[in-house]
Amino acid sequence: MQRQPMICAFATLLAALYLPVSLAQPEPRPTPSGLRYEDDSLFIRIVQRSPEQLTAFYLGRQFNQAAIEHILDTCFVTPIIHNKTFDVLWLELDTWQFSRGDEQIPRIKRDYWPEKWDRSGLPQAQRSTFGWTLMPEKRDLRRDEGVGGSVVIPWQQQPFTLRMNFHTGADKQGPLKTIVFEDIQCVTDTP
Amino acid sequence: MRNRHALSRAAVYACLWFAALPALAADPLPKGLLVLDGRAAPPLVLNDLDGERWDISAARGRWLFVHFWATWCGPCRKEMPTIQAIVPQFDATQLEIVLINTAETEDTVFAFLAEVAPDITPLMDSDGLVTEQWQPRGLPATFFVDPQGRLQYLALGGRPWDSPEYLEFVQRLVGQ
Repeated sequence: MQRQPMICAFATLLAALYLPVSLAQPEPRPTPSGLRYEDDSLFIRIVQRSPEQLTAFYLGRQFNQAAIEHILDTCFVTPIIHNKTFDVLWLELDTWQFSRGDEQIPRIKRDYWPEKWDRSGLPQAQRSTFGWTLMPEKRDLRRDEGVGGSVVIPWQQQPFTLRMNFHTGADKQGPLKTIVFEDIQCVTDTP
Repeated sequence: MRNRHALSRAAVYACLWFAALPALAADPLPKGLLVLDGRAAPPLVLNDLDGERWDISAARGRWLFVHFWATWCGPCRKEMPTIQAIVPQFDATQLEIVLINTAETEDTVFAFLAEVAPDITPLMDSDGLVTEQWQPRGLPATFFVDPQGRLQYLALGGRPWDSPEYLEFVQRLVGQ
């Protein structure tokens, strides 16, 4: 008499154990909560560093104070991206959009910096290091390739949205993959 | 006489390389390795941490593991002990491990390597211009240059060089 309820309980337990796995498998979530996203083909984490952390990093690399002031005038968003597919995933910063509501936020590109470095008298070694800390403008991310680096926008007082678009396939003929991060903020120092 | 010896040694290495090709073709590459087009490696003349000059054009006849890195780069720090671990496993006449630090000071590099990879004397790309000329896809990155001075493979990002998959790849490459 008691066998049937036990079987039912066992089946329910199995279903409960299986359910989260089956739910986790198929659907990419285009709008991640928080600063992390992962599906079968892609991993993204966004690291936000405070002015104090940025200052410590660049001071440790012998950047002068004037150069650091130029850096702190802006907002660094630092995604770390890993291509988990066997196909090419295209990183193209020009296809990314920073916005708040209907307002587009322009990205600060690499050509912004040389004049700042000239004014602050930053040596070539530090210019080179700075270049390697920025996200590449364009990269055909191969199987198991990761990339990380800072993408720079003007300082924002209010939260903003980052829409990342990735073409897929060696010839970009695969489906466009879009991941949207909401409520990103330029980080301030904690008092 | 010395030239004749050098020539015959280069011929032996070339034969070893061609002999190793079928084995490499048969085995899939480890993850994160790209086959390059065999173009000539860019110039590379730098001083090492001890002030000794190193010139890639004088390094023909052996495979080169040309690795670009910096201490501030997290994946570089994670990868470095695995490079240190494979250094004793290769005869320098077969494979020379060449580390190029990108745009850091001698003090920074010395302090880091003394702890993590004491057997490695890196080349110092003090202004970062050699790194920019080689155009790695990021830091870290490792190029494999064949005994004739051609770029054959690129390892993307940090790789666990002391793991069986990667170690066997390098061993097959140099004909061990």
